[in-house]
Amino acid sequence: MITSDILSAILVSGIVLGSGYALMASGLSLVWTTLGIFNFAHGVLMTLGAYIAWTVSDAAGLNFGLGLAIAVSAAIMIGAGILIERVIVRPFYDHRDILLVTVMTTLAAMIFMQKGIQLIWGARLKQLAPIATGNVQIWQTTISAQEALIIVVAPLLLGALWLFLDRSRTGRGIRAVGQNPDAARLIGIDVSRLFIITFALSAVLAGLTGVLLGSIRLLTPEFGSEPLVKALIIVIFGGLGSLGGTVVAAYLMGLLEAALVFFVGIYWAPSMIFLLLILVLLIRPQGLLGKVVR
Amino acid sequence: MALHDGKLRNSKVWLIGVLLIAGLLVPIFVQDSYLRHLFIISFVYGIVAASWDLSLGYAGIFNFAHVAFFGVGVYATGLTAKLLGIDPWAAMLIGGVAASAAAAIVALPVVRLQGVYVVLVTFAFSQLVMQLVINQSNLTGGTQGMVRVPTIWLPGYNFLRDYKLGYYYVALGLLVITTVCLRWLVRSDFGLSIRALRDNEDYAVSRGIPIAWQRLKALVASAFFTGLAGGFYVVYLRVASPEVFDFSTVSLILSMVLVGGTSSIYGPLFAALFLTFISEGLASINNFAEGRFMLVALAMIVVLLFFPKGLASALPAILAKNANQKRSRQPVTASADQALMTSTDKENEAEAASHSGVR
Repeated sequence: MITSDILSAILVSGIVLGSGYALMASGLSLVWTTLGIFNFAHGVLMTLGAYIAWTVSDAAGLNFGLGLAIAVSAAIMIGAGILIERVIVRPFYDHRDILLVTVMTTLAAMIFMQKGIQLIWGARLKQLAPIATGNVQIWQTTISAQEALIIVVAPLLLGALWLFLDRSRTGRGIRAVGQNPDAARLIGIDVSRLFIITFALSAVLAGLTGVLLGSIRLLTPEFGSEPLVKALIIVIFGGLGSLGGTVVAAYLMGLLEAALVFFVGIYWAPSMIFLLLILVLLIRPQGLLGKVVR
Repeated sequence: MALHDGKLRNSKVWLIGVLLIAGLLVPIFVQDSYLRHLFIISFVYGIVAASWDLSLGYAGIFNFAHVAFFGVGVYATGLTAKLLGIDPWAAMLIGGVAASAAAAIVALPVVRLQGVYVVLVTFAFSQLVMQLVINQSNLTGGTQGMVRVPTIWLPGYNFLRDYKLGYYYVALGLLVITTVCLRWLVRSDFGLSIRALRDNEDYAVSRGIPIAWQRLKALVASAFFTGLAGGFYVVYLRVASPEVFDFSTVSLILSMVLVGGTSSIYGPLFAALFLTFISEGLASINNFAEGRFMLVALAMIVVLLFFPKGLASALPAILAKNANQKRSRQPVTASADQALMTSTDKENEAEAASHSGVR
């Protein structure tokens, strides 16, 4: 029944989906593991990154090319990340319900930025020029070169993130802070600086995801909402405890979604995923791959 | 102290009585159909915000699906009234029951989960319901929304005439019933037990409070009222749109709960009345549809930063402080403490005590 071209189609589209989700969810997971905060503004940061890249590369006939666009976008994302940390997260570090309060503040930030984007850029659909053009055939499925690029770039970026966290001094510091902020402070790590770096890094990841996906999807002010919701589900599945678990869960989710879309159709796939989610949580409240976290 | 408490309670009863009479008299002075519409919408939001306070404020469940329960009520009522031809009055009740059922489904995993997972599951649930509504467009009208929903009726009275007078009293009635029920719930043993679970889970469980069961009840009860409000909302507006599930709707209602202050029922209710007028007033300014949500978001952040117990909570503290300063010059810290204690009712006193406990 399942012929090899169907299998190929499911696998390839699943990996394309999974790559996007992995980039998205890793930024969320990074902030979570380090600060214990769930950043709802992550999706809108992705939107902002894509819009800025669009403005630099497409609008006003500037046409500086995507390279510069990505650079400018990344730079602004660093600023946005720092701003979010400073204004709406930092004041609550000592709060009893820091988690709940920051969910609310980042939700507010998300609405603020989303509506702000709509004010500035309008509701008209936009699309980024693809970085790579043409088509690529993988196994028995033809996809656009941009999608192939995402398949390649996502693991590279995630690998770089892993190298940074595992090898560099700053990255190790971030992990130390995530494991025990008090102990990290005791041995002389500048915790507050690392919080800022973490937020900036996560914002850049969101922006890059936006730039990559902005040429295969249409840009609207709600561009980041759907990936954010998927990332929510992924971190529930994968558990929030580790970056590795999140990335694996993201790819699994991509494949699962592709398979469900094929078997039950695009309308019922989200409900099936949610049903599975409830089942998983009933059996393993800490997530499919997760360990018990705070 | 006891005398003072009694006085306070007395004045509170008076205040509520006066407000109720004012509420009943409003339509006499307000003839304008749009203004009455604002009152009706604000009553609906008042119900949603106040009932959210039960699960979010009192039970301390990080429930972000409350607005989705409202949406479930909207669509359950709309669909049963329009497609099955059920009497709109009964359909409103169905809306409440459907929202409760949705809450029970969400509660299944949620009562066993901790912290952030509750937030994630409830948010994911909201998005799922929205997806379902959008995807089943042959039933729900999809993103276009559902139109021509039948409205409520009374023998010999047409709700569509009379400048919304009938709707006004139905909305006010629902608001009063909801408030009475919610106040009764939070002051009952049940209310005490969910607050105990919120403030010191381990201790409460060790004293034999069934955590999953109580949380399930809190979610189901708070969803019922919001679903009922959703049912009324759709038979009043006669259209339903998936916008009710939007993140911006969530933030609007959340801002009402925060501005009013959690764990009081009255706070979110009055904040809802107040904010609806401001927000709708702003929306009527040209090209300000986005701007008003940006302001709401800003207000939320400001309140969380500077008035964590709600804007309303700042008022009695300031008043009492002034009174105290006039009366005598006691040591600053003591008088401030005292001012806070006397200005809030007994319930908050208990709360303050439990907050200072080990956690």
